[in-house]
Amino acid sequence: MKSKLIYSLMLLAGLNLMGLASAQTPAPAAGATPAIPPTWAQGRTPDGMNPSLSPNPPGITALPADEIPVSKLKVPPGFKVELWASGMPNGRSMTESPSGVVYVGTRFTGNVYAVVTKDGKREVKTIAKGLHRPNGVAFANGSLYVAELSRIIRYDNIEANLDNPPAPVVVFDALPKDEPHGWKFLTLSPDGQYLYFQIGTPANIVVPPYTHAAIVRLNLKTNILEYVATGVRNSVGMDFQKGTKELWFTNNGRDWADENLPNDTLNRLAHKGMNFGYPFCHQGDFLDPEFGKGRSCDEFDKPEMKLGAHVAALGMRFYNGNMFPAEYKGNIFIAEHGSWNKTKKSGYQVVRVVLDAKNKPVKLEPFITGWLEGESFWGRPVDVQVLKDGSMLVSDDETGAIFRVSYNKK
Amino acid sequence: MMKLKNTKAILGVAFFTTSAWLGIQLAQAAPPDPVAGKAKAAMCFACHGENGIASAPEIPNLAAQPALSITYQLIQYRGQQRKGGGMEGIAQALSDQDMRDIAAYYSALPPPPAKSGNAQLIEQGKQIASAQFCNSCHGAQFQGQKHIARLAGQSETYLITQLKNIRSGERVDMDGTMGSAAKGLSDEHIKALAAYAASLQ
Repeated sequence: MKSKLIYSLMLLAGLNLMGLASAQTPAPAAGATPAIPPTWAQGRTPDGMNPSLSPNPPGITALPADEIPVSKLKVPPGFKVELWASGMPNGRSMTESPSGVVYVGTRFTGNVYAVVTKDGKREVKTIAKGLHRPNGVAFANGSLYVAELSRIIRYDNIEANLDNPPAPVVVFDALPKDEPHGWKFLTLSPDGQYLYFQIGTPANIVVPPYTHAAIVRLNLKTNILEYVATGVRNSVGMDFQKGTKELWFTNNGRDWADENLPNDTLNRLAHKGMNFGYPFCHQGDFLDPEFGKGRSCDEFDKPEMKLGAHVAALGMRFYNGNMFPAEYKGNIFIAEHGSWNKTKKSGYQVVRVVLDAKNKPVKLEPFITGWLEGESFWGRPVDVQVLKDGSMLVSDDETGAIFRVSYNKK
Repeated sequence: MMKLKNTKAILGVAFFTTSAWLGIQLAQAAPPDPVAGKAKAAMCFACHGENGIASAPEIPNLAAQPALSITYQLIQYRGQQRKGGGMEGIAQALSDQDMRDIAAYYSALPPPPAKSGNAQLIEQGKQIASAQFCNSCHGAQFQGQKHIARLAGQSETYLITQLKNIRSGERVDMDGTMGSAAKGLSDEHIKALAAYAASLQ
């Protein structure tokens, strides 16, 4: 019943797209041309941005460890960056289990990896293959939860069976099957009761069905899905702040509006039911050139910080570790996957956000750079993960590797 | 049920000194080698041709395909994400370097000749291509770029089959881009697009 409703809403969205397309493109001979342009190109106008821009090739292979130029990465004085693990084609989102196993999801290769450290040596195990966009990973009660495109699955007692994982249990599969922005970031709430993840908008810019462009949470006891935030185009990074227990998340801005607008954003979910504006208002103060007509940004909740246009702000974590200097405590690290819809590339770095005493972000600065050389890149950071020892991991889906940043106390 | 295989890549504790890294960077993997690629591609010739022109309409021409496009497809065949024509079996034996070499060979060959066809159909295909922004990724002359396939001079039969498979989901595309592009196409649109692509060089 519910899925029927979702389906009819998606059809409705399709009709909206048709209306949009016919308004934008010159009228062709009747019936000659299809009504729906590809999702990534929606919102593009003939007089708009550099038309030769197109998405980057996704990273689907892993570079051998000795070909990964980790020495090109730059970190602030006192910090050290090293190659931590490699051989994980398209490795993306990360989570660390209480025993110290790091699980890594993928978007293109369908694999899930486990990185196990034993006697000072690390071993990468491919614990699942053939999944459909298993981008999200979370660990709870001895089980590994994996978010595929349209379902959440669970591997019970995984750590005793890393060499021969059990068949997964399907936890929840009533999720939309749209490919665009369909991959998920998954995180566990501090009380362990909920899995939070996003349902991204099914296009670049479109009035989405109410099922989409949202952050939801799944109650692990009741299996009930709730919407906690709407108007979120696509969030591929979330973390709960220690103390306030509030969810902070990144959000990717729309394409084809402008080379320098709108910004990707850092957001705070102060209460359930906030609406962050998509598709009408972006970055809290930029009315959509098309969908913003007759609307006001005052209708919507504002982001905490603008992060730059097209940088592709993905994974984010609060730093609660004890290894970095005191001024890093409570900071937010964000992995910027890097731009495609921009003539001059931006992003391709990990940034640091500093909050003031009132919990407001006041400073944004690069923390790890060097993946981008001129206009070409050799790596693309996807997620950050603070380990129990206080060091920080960064995944890179271009090289299929994970880097580790540590600080040497003098 | 899912088949699970453990890939074991034992890593030593990764504390490398700068000088070790310099040494490693000097010893990077061999660049793609079209000469070695030709030898490795010998098993491809029966179907895809020594000159990259296929021996049957349901087989794609590989001549002048962007190297990365060939590599990406081979990787997806090897990973069983793409299947067809037995390629998922053939690709099993290929290393990344084999793929790069074979791709270097085929990408350096002269492109397939343009094919003439029904002028009205070709013109219709051109209009559809424009409305669908095909050129953004596949290039102004459908010559392809980066990981994106060359469509110019490609077999119409092959293109029609692929677009229909992408539309139905039988061929899972890499990132959803082609899936969304094919979703709004009718069989007639696909036929016209294929005729247009084949007419280009």
